[in-house]
Amino acid sequence: MKSPWVKKLFLLLILVLLVIFPAASPSPYLVHIMTLIFIWAYISTAWAYMGRFGLVSLGHGAFLGIGAYVTALLFNYFNLSPWIGMLIGASSAAFLAAVLGYACFRFGVIGDYFALVTLAVGELVALSIIALRDTTGGSLGFTIRNLGNAPLYFQFSNKVYFYYLSFLFLVFALYLWVRIDKSKMQKALRAIGEDEIAASSVGINIIKYKMTITIISAFLTGIGGVLYAQYITYLNPHTLSGVEVSLAIPFKAILGGMFDMWGPTIGTAMIVSLEEYIRVSYGTKFIGISEVAYGIALIVLIIFLPKGLYGTLKEMKIFKNERRRQYGCNKRKEVILRGR
Amino acid sequence: MFEQIINAAINGILLGGVLALLAFGLNLIFGVVKIIHMAYGQFVMLGFYLIYVLTVQLHVPLIISSLIAICAMAVLGILTQLLVIEPLLDAPRLNQLLALAGLIIVFENLAMVIWGADYRGIPLYLPILHIGNFYIRFSCLIAFLGALMTLGLLYLFLHKTYIGLAIRATAQDVEIAKVMGVNSRLIYFVTLAAGGALTGIVAAFFTPIYTVHPHFGSSFTIMAFIIVVLGGMGNLLGGFISAFIIGIVTSVSAVLTTAEVADIIALLIFILVMLVRPQGILGVRGT
Amino acid sequence: MLRVEKINVSYGEFQVLHEVSIEVKSGETAIVVGPNGAGKTTLLRVISGLLKPTSGAIYFDGHRIDDKEPHEIVELGIALVPEGGRLFPYLTVYDNLKIGSFAKRARGGFRRTLEEIFELFPILKERRNQLAGSLSGGERQMLAIARSLMSQPKLIMLDEPSLGLAPRVVSRVFEFIGKIRSQGYSILMVEQNARKALELADHAYLLESGKLEFHGGREDFLRNPYIKKAYLGI
Repeated sequence: MKSPWVKKLFLLLILVLLVIFPAASPSPYLVHIMTLIFIWAYISTAWAYMGRFGLVSLGHGAFLGIGAYVTALLFNYFNLSPWIGMLIGASSAAFLAAVLGYACFRFGVIGDYFALVTLAVGELVALSIIALRDTTGGSLGFTIRNLGNAPLYFQFSNKVYFYYLSFLFLVFALYLWVRIDKSKMQKALRAIGEDEIAASSVGINIIKYKMTITIISAFLTGIGGVLYAQYITYLNPHTLSGVEVSLAIPFKAILGGMFDMWGPTIGTAMIVSLEEYIRVSYGTKFIGISEVAYGIALIVLIIFLPKGLYGTLKEMKIFKNERRRQYGCNKRKEVILRGR
Repeated sequence: MFEQIINAAINGILLGGVLALLAFGLNLIFGVVKIIHMAYGQFVMLGFYLIYVLTVQLHVPLIISSLIAICAMAVLGILTQLLVIEPLLDAPRLNQLLALAGLIIVFENLAMVIWGADYRGIPLYLPILHIGNFYIRFSCLIAFLGALMTLGLLYLFLHKTYIGLAIRATAQDVEIAKVMGVNSRLIYFVTLAAGGALTGIVAAFFTPIYTVHPHFGSSFTIMAFIIVVLGGMGNLLGGFISAFIIGIVTSVSAVLTTAEVADIIALLIFILVMLVRPQGILGVRGT
Repeated sequence: MLRVEKINVSYGEFQVLHEVSIEVKSGETAIVVGPNGAGKTTLLRVISGLLKPTSGAIYFDGHRIDDKEPHEIVELGIALVPEGGRLFPYLTVYDNLKIGSFAKRARGGFRRTLEEIFELFPILKERRNQLAGSLSGGERQMLAIARSLMSQPKLIMLDEPSLGLAPRVVSRVFEFIGKIRSQGYSILMVEQNARKALELADHAYLLESGKLEFHGGREDFLRNPYIKKAYLGI
């Protein structure tokens, strides 16, 4: 796949296959699975915008939850169309990201400490949603009012629309990845990710670049929350915010390989299929057994595919780029271990 | 109202003793192995269930089932080190965190499969002491004193034995500890075993106070986390003091507001401390 | 006693040592001089087992040690005084000495060795309950050397013992090393301060960019015009 036109042809083929997939699919269940893969791939790609530059967030559930809840509450209480509410919801998520990011970057919170702070923020949002139970329904969650077929209100009679919509979002996120890679920001962030002190000494405005990528990532994640909530039509603090989902997002990105554009998507496809496969094969016998198998599978995958599936495959083929990156990681780890 | 607050503060201190023990284990593992044991609270949950099964279903005396649980949790700690942590020692931090988070999923759902979602407790009715207008649950008092005693023993272990010295040295500089003749791999196993045993002890102290359910552990992991951060990661003395601060703050704010708000306050403290002084408010490092 | 045979060592893709061979005979002092980044510290790390060579072999007292773990190598009788001392700053002076005797071969004789050490370094006895991190630079280096002696080694490896010390303190540190040498320990010392180090050496090696460029007795070194010019400043 070295020559660019072969690669392009290959991508085009996949694109066509995905577009005609719902029509050709033997069952709506497969379309549903594909839709879930698109939504979560979109979200974990947005997560990896930050993750690949060393900004490891374990609190993206916060942005997911805020986006979804703000939008759905505005619709349920004020009848505001989620198409508009989505922007408000995602902006709220971006605003939280801006506050959090500024505080972290100003105080030089990096590495482990950044991960832990974000983890706490994710849990904080989940707890806040539960505490505001009069409005949000608390732990029990709430259902989005059903209008039947109302495209202007983000509701479709046919779930296939969600398939195409989330597909478009995913394509957009991947496109944005390429744009970021071509921008000036990419170089600066990579330098920061590898060695923050050195980067600042050559005059890179660290806070500015980190803030930008954090806000973009949070905004897109907020939209992802809306997408997921509108598709499922039910909101619950545990599935949209909090530790569990906040960890599930980076899981997907890492198992695919967070340093590569296709990594999060491949990881999500792998995890969602695995999850569904285990659920269908074992889940009906004992409640919880499928999750046990899923948890074990995750641990085993992390141990044996430390650079992610795509990353590992790629490393076998092309050596030079990966190694340099890995070196950067080790150096960063050393900094983290010494505790700033 | 005032009396209620004082009462809550007293309970906070008593709870703080047990929390100090839990935080100590988490801190020890972080200090020595340099890993954040995300599934630490889940160990307590499993230990609790084990005591429940032994005492209620198999009619083993509580003391003996507690001892069995302590050993079992130590073994579980060793297994965790062997199967999950050791293979990831050189992996990126994020991978370590996520693998241990995967363990949370495994443990909680395993509990769900075996025992279901019901709350289970050990019927053990201990008196409540009335002192003036204040009351103290006898079970909390036992837990508190027991925790302090355990901490004292741990201190002696770390300061008076060769292996304890090796643990402290490894925490400060693994490489040099190795060159001193310390088998760091062995020390990691000892640390995880000790950390596991501590969760068994905590579970034993919790049995007369709480009821257990599959998600019982997660709030304690977070609580222990907050304490460790407040006291400074790797700082055992700081962790001890901040356990009482957090114990008081959460139980007083739980009385004044709701349980969720109390948790939110604790999390806010955590975030603020992380932002301003990630080495903890009690900056000195004394192991 | 110690024989390093043609070892190659790499950090990732970057090769640090090329076919390096050295030998330390029983009771002798060998020094390795060379500029910064020549691979001197790496050499000591490999011998102590902290780093594995990609090829070559290391023998100590008839045992092959290049595939052994650091703690096993300590048990055989090799002690390292790392660069800058690398004490445990939050342990007391006493505990630092005690951990020095962690090796099983040394534990039994802990009390006796400690007495000897305190005789040799009276200042450490005075400061026994102080945290090691609070000592002065010279005292730290003394403690690091004392700590290595606690394991009752046959061979002591010193990594740049004069690094970062004031000239007056350097003289004292070398005086101590001389004392230890006269007690019959074998010593392998890595040092930038070639002139001082050569005074103690029976045998010397010159390491430049990972390759052994020259080796010989002290007289050979002092006579070599290149070494005279580049390292002794004569």
